[in-house]
Amino acid sequence: MFSVANPTQITMSKISTPILDRSVAPPLLPIEHISFVGPQITVLNNGAKLFWRNGLQNETSKIELHFAAGSATKDPLTASLCAGLLINGSATRTAKQIQKALDAVGAYYDVSLSQESSVVTLYALKDQLLKAYEIFHESLFTAIFPIKEVQELVHSRRQKYTVQEQKVNFLAQRQFQRSLMAGSTYANLIQLADFDRADRSQIQAFHAEHYLKGLKKVFLVGDLSTEHVLELEVLLNAYSSDIAERAPFSWQPEQGATHIEQEGALQSALRIGRPLFNKTHPDFCAFSVLNTILGDYFGSRLMSNIREDKGYTYGIGSHVVENTKFGYFVIGTEVGVSTREATFLEIQHEFERLKTELVCEEELNLVKSYLMGQLLKSADGPYAMLDLFANVETMGLDLSYYDHYIAQIKAVDAHKLQELAKRYLNWEEMLIISAG
Amino acid sequence: MIAYDRFTLANGLRVLFHKEPATPMAVVNVLYDVGARDENPEQTGFAHLFEHLMFGGSKHIADFDAPLQAAGGQSNAFTSNDITNYYDVLPAHNLDTALWLESDRMLALAFTPKSLEVQRQVVIEEFKQRYLNQPYGDAWLQLRPLAYQKHPYRWATIGKNIKHIEDATMDDVRAFFQKHYHPGNAILCIVGNFELATIKEKVSHYFGNIPAQAKSPRQLPTEPPQQKFRIKTIQRNVPAGSFYYAFKMGKRLSDSYYLADLLSDHIGNEKTGILYTELQRKKRLVSEITAYITGSIDEGLFVITGKLNPKRTFEELEAAIWPVLAQVQDKKMSKSALQQLILKLRTAKAFQDQGLLNRAMNLSFFELLATADLLNTEGARYEQISTTQLQQYAQELLSKNRCSLLQIQPK
Repeated sequence: MFSVANPTQITMSKISTPILDRSVAPPLLPIEHISFVGPQITVLNNGAKLFWRNGLQNETSKIELHFAAGSATKDPLTASLCAGLLINGSATRTAKQIQKALDAVGAYYDVSLSQESSVVTLYALKDQLLKAYEIFHESLFTAIFPIKEVQELVHSRRQKYTVQEQKVNFLAQRQFQRSLMAGSTYANLIQLADFDRADRSQIQAFHAEHYLKGLKKVFLVGDLSTEHVLELEVLLNAYSSDIAERAPFSWQPEQGATHIEQEGALQSALRIGRPLFNKTHPDFCAFSVLNTILGDYFGSRLMSNIREDKGYTYGIGSHVVENTKFGYFVIGTEVGVSTREATFLEIQHEFERLKTELVCEEELNLVKSYLMGQLLKSADGPYAMLDLFANVETMGLDLSYYDHYIAQIKAVDAHKLQELAKRYLNWEEMLIISAG
Repeated sequence: MIAYDRFTLANGLRVLFHKEPATPMAVVNVLYDVGARDENPEQTGFAHLFEHLMFGGSKHIADFDAPLQAAGGQSNAFTSNDITNYYDVLPAHNLDTALWLESDRMLALAFTPKSLEVQRQVVIEEFKQRYLNQPYGDAWLQLRPLAYQKHPYRWATIGKNIKHIEDATMDDVRAFFQKHYHPGNAILCIVGNFELATIKEKVSHYFGNIPAQAKSPRQLPTEPPQQKFRIKTIQRNVPAGSFYYAFKMGKRLSDSYYLADLLSDHIGNEKTGILYTELQRKKRLVSEITAYITGSIDEGLFVITGKLNPKRTFEELEAAIWPVLAQVQDKKMSKSALQQLILKLRTAKAFQDQGLLNRAMNLSFFELLATADLLNTEGARYEQISTTQLQQYAQELLSKNRCSLLQIQPK
């Protein structure tokens, strides 16, 4: 049987909306304004500041304590063990009892240690936060570091370290930090032999010095009652804040290439970078634009070239890392061992392009819009906004910095970017580490 | 309570909209009902390779990411054994850009041999970076085929081996798109400060004329009930022995999923769970141990995993772990312990539900499972659980003949 389409049966469907031309992009609207809302600030008796954000319209809350107890010290293992053992036994409770007491109020906590500070965060539903913090406070303030807990943590950290040592990423990152920050305490990293020297009395001393006397600031988020916040303040007043200021920062960053061979590795981890600055420097905002173009978003030049054109890697990125006293620039990636040298050449090629060719309007505008969108997202909601605030507060700046940032991003042009590339992206000034 | 509206286009696209007045951002989430479980056993890793190709440009748009970035947004995606999920987060006033991009790649991808060649290389590097060049990285590549013998959960989303990716042809990828990427196989969820009428109009505008296509029925092999304990030991260049005890558990929507979820928290918690207190603290056999569930749509796995202490052996652990699990089966947990677990879940959920992206992903996933309502009602399923049910379930779950054990031994 044959069937023949009857032309009279074909009718045009009605079109009620404008015809969609898929080859034309919808018009884009710029971000007109971002409002930055600061927290309420209370100065505690010890001089540390409490920053509180409410207006959440949900049940969540958190309290975050920042201590001058970072790992950039002469003994990073002690700093690390101390942070790991803070909530593991107190004057009145064992580690298990603390955990059970926190479980009973449905609370979670984490301790995150950076080179400059130790941040201890407690999460709970807002009507449980005060109860949870009372348990938490007692645990942290009167921590006794039971010998069994110390031994167990040393033991498990040692084992985790031996696992880490097999990762090319870990090896490259360590060598990079050690060489870049040479001459400063930031170059002191935990080594395997340190675990044999772990000492409970030093952990106790570190706690007394860097936690009990080292409360720097407190961030609080949640729709809590004023009475509850006052009660939290009373507890927080137990800490003092009179730890000695860090010695003035100095370093002798190294340059040049180092390769760490790892037999049998399928990939090499790469770190390429140099000393730079943090957001207190006049070039910071414009350099952020340059860095984004080079390697800090999915459409960046490094991603487009080395991943999306060559397929050498699953991912490559460049970043500006900020500390309170300094900053640095770093490119990180993992590539197939056979394409390691080719990757170096492509990165150099991208440096050269930025130094010799002006970035075109289209790319520059795209990156500016992208950065504005990301800033809008970073300012979305009380938790995000408090994080934004914390990022400037720690550098001694305030929220007006972001208005300055927006103005600078809008103002930067291709000539300025080229000038920055010539000044900061010179291959011969880079520290180049590979492992694998 | 997360309120939402639902409508379906004539071509079968299911749409969810959740209004959030407090945000200047919008989330567009597109879930495709295709995962690694839908792959041909001889062509594994395709769903995931395909996810990469979805960013390589579509019929009318050369580059997916650039227009989104110019709109101030960004996107990403993930593939699991069950689903492939794409999302875009951008300033709300540029919502159209995300709808334009997502609708065009649902309509037709622009495959080029170059894009396939490059993404094949990228996925191979991903395979090395995440699975082969990491200590213990291939554990799940080994554990899956041990625990599953028939069901396609027996391979990982990255694929059984690199060769399947190396051998992928243009025709293979085209066929995969034809079969799985169409409106009837997708769920679109939008979150942001919009009106429902606007959303309806925009979604119809961009997605309405994508041709409908019949959903191909899913006929996966059923995993036969496991009757015997399975054990596999492999040698790797690792510093410490590691172990994975994987017990068969129920499907995502079965009652047993909720029981298994609570039970894994109960026995796996550090400091308070019995695995820690008996095997790490008291017997000093392990340096770390925990329990979790995979939470897959079809029958999942309840996994107890950790690492051996130096000089301790797998035999010693074997001798010690079963009596501990027998204790879990014999002793009912206290009512207060159960209440604590549920309160912790409530806290965790309140924090998860804060994030716009989480809300969009979860609404989409629950809609796929049954209904987006589950995002609001699932908590009640936990609250109904009794300590007796948990004990009975432990007796059923933690039996040795439903367990597959993978041991990774240092060379």
